[in-house]
Amino acid sequence: MSATAKAVGAALPRAEVREKVEGRAQYIADLYRPGMLHGAVLGSPHAHARIKRYDTSEALAVPGVHAVLTGDDFGDHRMGAFVKDEHAIAKGKVRYVGEPVAAVAAETEAAAKLAARLVSVEYEELPAILSPEAALAPDAAIIHEDVASYFKVFDTGSTANVCSRTSLTEGDAAAWDRCDVIVEGRFATQPQAHVSLEPCGALAEPDATGRVTLWSANQSVFRVQANVSESLGLPMAQLRCLTPRVGAGFGNKMEPHIQPIAVKLALATGRPVKLILTREEDFEIVRARHPFKLRVRTGALKDGTLVAREVEVLLDGGAYADDSPGVLGYSLFMSPGPYRFRYMKASGTLVYTNKLRFGAFRGFGNPQVSFAGEQQIDEIAARLGLDPLAVREKSMLRPGDKWFGGAEVGSNGLEECIARVKAASGWAKRAELEPSAPGRKRAMAAACTAHISGLLATGAIVRMLEDGSIVLNTGAVDIGQGSDTALTQICAEALKVPIERVRLASPDTDGSPYNWGTTASRVTYTTGRAVVAAALEVEKQIKQHASEMLECDAADLELRPGGRVGIVGVPDKAVSFFEVSARAHWARGGPIIGHNSLVFEKPSVDPKRAIAVGLPFPQIGAFAFGALVVDIEIDETTGKIEVKRAWSAADVGRAINPLAVEGQLEGAFVQGMGLALNEEMVWDGPRLANPTLMDYKVPTTLDSPHEIHSIIVEAPEPDGPFGAKGVGEIGINVVPAAIANAAAIALGKRFNALPLTPERVLRAMLGK
Amino acid sequence: MSVPGFHRPKSVEDAARLLAETDGARCLSGGATLVAMMNASLAEPKAIVSLAGIPELAGIAELANGGFRIGAMTRHAATAGDARLAGTLAVLRDAARQIANPVVRNMGTIGGSIGFADPAADYPPALVAANAEVEIANAAGRRRVAARDFFVDWYTTACGPGEFVTGVYLPPPRPGAGLYKKLARVSGDFAIASVALSAAKDANGVSIRIAVGGCGPRPIRADAADALLSAKFGDAAAAAAAGEALAAAADPVDDVRASAEYRRLVIPRLVAETVAHARAALEAR
Repeated sequence: MSATAKAVGAALPRAEVREKVEGRAQYIADLYRPGMLHGAVLGSPHAHARIKRYDTSEALAVPGVHAVLTGDDFGDHRMGAFVKDEHAIAKGKVRYVGEPVAAVAAETEAAAKLAARLVSVEYEELPAILSPEAALAPDAAIIHEDVASYFKVFDTGSTANVCSRTSLTEGDAAAWDRCDVIVEGRFATQPQAHVSLEPCGALAEPDATGRVTLWSANQSVFRVQANVSESLGLPMAQLRCLTPRVGAGFGNKMEPHIQPIAVKLALATGRPVKLILTREEDFEIVRARHPFKLRVRTGALKDGTLVAREVEVLLDGGAYADDSPGVLGYSLFMSPGPYRFRYMKASGTLVYTNKLRFGAFRGFGNPQVSFAGEQQIDEIAARLGLDPLAVREKSMLRPGDKWFGGAEVGSNGLEECIARVKAASGWAKRAELEPSAPGRKRAMAAACTAHISGLLATGAIVRMLEDGSIVLNTGAVDIGQGSDTALTQICAEALKVPIERVRLASPDTDGSPYNWGTTASRVTYTTGRAVVAAALEVEKQIKQHASEMLECDAADLELRPGGRVGIVGVPDKAVSFFEVSARAHWARGGPIIGHNSLVFEKPSVDPKRAIAVGLPFPQIGAFAFGALVVDIEIDETTGKIEVKRAWSAADVGRAINPLAVEGQLEGAFVQGMGLALNEEMVWDGPRLANPTLMDYKVPTTLDSPHEIHSIIVEAPEPDGPFGAKGVGEIGINVVPAAIANAAAIALGKRFNALPLTPERVLRAMLGK
Repeated sequence: MSVPGFHRPKSVEDAARLLAETDGARCLSGGATLVAMMNASLAEPKAIVSLAGIPELAGIAELANGGFRIGAMTRHAATAGDARLAGTLAVLRDAARQIANPVVRNMGTIGGSIGFADPAADYPPALVAANAEVEIANAAGRRRVAARDFFVDWYTTACGPGEFVTGVYLPPPRPGAGLYKKLARVSGDFAIASVALSAAKDANGVSIRIAVGGCGPRPIRADAADALLSAKFGDAAAAAAAGEALAAAADPVDDVRASAEYRRLVIPRLVAETVAHARAALEAR
């Protein structure tokens, strides 16, 4: 847009980095209000049971207790992003161990926790359904008896314990007959915990009119407002939702956690109530990444050209639908990977089980389907004696190609991603790599991916203050990934002002324009678009004022770097934003405010090309692409895999802030390494066995490779802000697949289940 | 979490008396274990007896016989960094430097760690391999217990009610090598399995002590393994047999870190590798 402005493309540290480094950043647990009470919840000891009766008398007798609430105190209101199947607190039944059944507000945290333990609940136990296969058994206990009557945002096909079914088919199945090589396999992935540094929490404060101000750890103040409103039966306008700093989300703070309970406690007591989950509760009751069971079949010609693929998925959604229907649909949508297939069929079933909800987690189903699909491409290459990246290059989507189902792909930098990782990693000489020590095996392998950025509604308000400085208000929550900085850069660039002249308003449902949320790698792309459009609106108003002040045609004016507007070709004819804005505020026209609203509108599927059943997102987003090469070593003594080096290339359209893009790619890689190598939520019967940071381990800096090379590829998205698209998720998608491909090369064995623990690897090595 | 009584005695004798007299009292040394357990509501002491004010519990002292006494309050970082723990005693340094992470190593103490007696922790097998003794105090006085007898069961030591660890006695270091090999899910985690080995070498030959961590209720050792390795240290078959003997002596359980079966599988492999490394270390001397 401008050759002179420099805000976009600048590798800037986060605007808020100093307060975080100095420990001054305020997270939800740091907030206090006068007269504030502390909340606590009691979790269900059973995975599946009917609630017969409550006795709260002992809890109420604890000194300092102000309220003890159970399901009886909550109306029959249900919430849910896709299927409205969930109460704010268990009502009538409990459906997983740890599900909140009672909540307490008390003067101290200790009193609240003690009282919560003293709530007595009488249960009638029901058979616990702990696997999707068990859920589908003909005589299985039914987890949601009323599933047919629940409100749903799309045609889910729900029946018995099936929450939703989705399928997407394109092309002619006769393509299978042309295949020279067909690989087929079953794959399984494990549940992964988000492990945000900050556990979930909320602070609700009612005023004298019953209106509630709600601060919480979240990824969308507007989803918080909607979920609390739905689950408590309150008008949305009765809630004002805010967010302090957020200590990461990765998906677990997008939909509700305990915000509705905190609000109910505040309304019951008339006092501010703060409820912060312990780490154990955060593991047990928020949400986690879905375990997938997959059956995948891929066929190719003998020259390596990919021809056909079928993917069948069985998804454990846990006790409530939450984002699961979206994850099912999205995983199927992404299951071809970034390749041309003549025939592609993807279908899946999502079932309820008696485990905590599985929901959104960075990648949103893409890592699971990629684990299978990207291994099968390597299998085909191995069968045919071809270079696995050459096979991918032969069939990769090229600029102009549409996505599976017919969605338009705006820009496509996949070819460059592959070329860059090949060059940087020394791919051509990978066979010559030597192990670093005896007793170790070494291998290099690759995988490719695509991801969307987009979905749903977004707005931006750009306000010029009297002195010409700018306040940008988008309602987008920065969960630590750096969107506040990136959006500020976009706004500064659009108005050609120094970045210090633009400040970002904190998300506030009273004052911010709607933003669906910080999810789907969408904020830079969608909100950035709205910011550019809103800034353009401000530019128009500035020029209108300036044309009157300089007595010229508005069309002859240009914005000049540093916050001035002047006549094109006449350097000394200009006025400052200060002069323009002061005039607007005090004399003519009124304050300068630019606003834009948009919703992502391009269709996901072209009905002339594909048949979609139960696909929950009619419009989805712009496509980003990526390629990854990993260099691993396997310790032959123990089977432990160590990632030595990684090259992660992502086509981000345009890197608004290259430093933040690198941060996303590195962070996604390490989180993907955890998924690939060791993270796993384990159940001991109905109970989560490792809900602590002692028993559940994420990779540390010492486990991360010294070399994670982030490679930024820029294929500008036609409608993206300065060409940008998203980068939050793409870096995680194929980490497990690439590592599994490398392990297969090193050991001559395929791994169909995650994680690739030393145990799994050693057993494969020894055939035990 | 609330603690009614907090005591900070100045001597071991006062501490022992307080522990004996105070109902539900627990010793606090570095806090790396006890405070974490209190935060998790796994420990709810009625009183705390802090050992921080007792001078004799701090630091590593050389003894008249050439051995060492490590005071119970000695931080892991201090043990990891003490170059006097050489030769056969290097096994303890090697274990100390692999405990958790720098923050925990600067805070946690040897007394607190072994008093908790998590069999997947790093000190227990290392102390057995180093042939250490543990000093225990009570209101009547002090006694010493061999490390191999100190660890009794899961999270259980030879300390009785009212007793606490005051220090660790190490024999004089002998020329040779000491190694600690740890397999963990991620850096700083407790061991899936670990092997501690001390190898003394003099004109008469080689003398080996080996112990396995993380594979049973207490450090695993086997006289047969020590004897086999001492007799034929250069012999791969002897190392394999020693590994099998230790695997047979192990009593692992399935847990979130790994299965019992995997541990039995990996013990001989880790033993063989540790022996090979020790042999290389001896040859390099």
